[in-house]
Amino acid sequence: MYEYFAAIANWGPSKAINESSWIFALVQAFHLVSLGFLAGSLLMVDLRLLGRGFSQQPLATVARDARPWLLGSLVAMVLTGVPQFISLATKEYDSPYFRWKMLMLLIALIFTFTIRKRVAYAPEGRFGGGIGKVVALVSIGLWTSVAINGRLIGFFS
Amino acid sequence: MFDLALADYFAWLRSFFEYVSERETSIMLRESQYVMPWVFVLHVISMCMFAGTILMMDLRLLGVGNMATPFSQVQRRLFPWQMAAMFFSAATGLALVWGNPMNYVTNIIFWVKMLAMGIAGLNALAFHFITEYTLVDWDAGETPPFGAKLAGGLSILLWANVIVAGRLIPYALTWFRTY
Repeated sequence: MYEYFAAIANWGPSKAINESSWIFALVQAFHLVSLGFLAGSLLMVDLRLLGRGFSQQPLATVARDARPWLLGSLVAMVLTGVPQFISLATKEYDSPYFRWKMLMLLIALIFTFTIRKRVAYAPEGRFGGGIGKVVALVSIGLWTSVAINGRLIGFFS
Repeated sequence: MFDLALADYFAWLRSFFEYVSERETSIMLRESQYVMPWVFVLHVISMCMFAGTILMMDLRLLGVGNMATPFSQVQRRLFPWQMAAMFFSAATGLALVWGNPMNYVTNIIFWVKMLAMGIAGLNALAFHFITEYTLVDWDAGETPPFGAKLAGGLSILLWANVIVAGRLIPYALTWFRTY
């Protein structure tokens, strides 16, 4: 496995990112701006599920409004995340926080596009309010742990 | 008079930061191995909550997002979360500066961030005291007036500037020469 990570780190574009004094910095910065949009589009629906707002609109309407921003910010996160990964691939291989982040990211994505999506787009009253609240809290917890591990990669690796 | 360097005008600011850096709490924060990284983590989490709830409101102001909900409802429902998140961002941000004041006082990117925050605050106040009075005319409408779009667009640009500058603060040391 390590050989693949080493090969990625030795790839031309990866080295170019490392040798530049500003590419990595700017990519990181826009990763965070995308994070703001991602958090917002997730919170719109999660707050609605928690019964903390937008109760005059059907849940599915709030979710449909948030959807393009959720998908767009996820794409932006990947586009700004991959360059960071390839330039530091061998370091990330050793980082427990990177592994945790990827694991939590996978779980968060699966949860968001299966269970959470099902609850968000269900006809009103199909699921009880209690289920909605649990789904919102799990969503917030999963995505928060992705962000926390992401920030920790930079400190302890 | 003209041989004064720009830094001389800010000598009082520098001495205040120096005063802070000598406080026992500042030294404790600086010398702790684990507290500061976790304050950074909490700063990022509160940023997510703050930027997230602000940006979603701005998209509605621009007329490009969350259009099924009237602006007044988006604003009213997000407001308590914006305020709580602002409090946590400010508290964690203050702790970061308190622990390492001399890292920030000569950091141009840090001051760009502070300035952008100030302007973003003025933008929000201007919207509140001017454009919001016309709210009844466009609250649920598909196309907010120019003033609303301007406030939303400026807010997105300024807060993005705050986030970008915040992330770039450590690079000031390699990008710019500090005296």
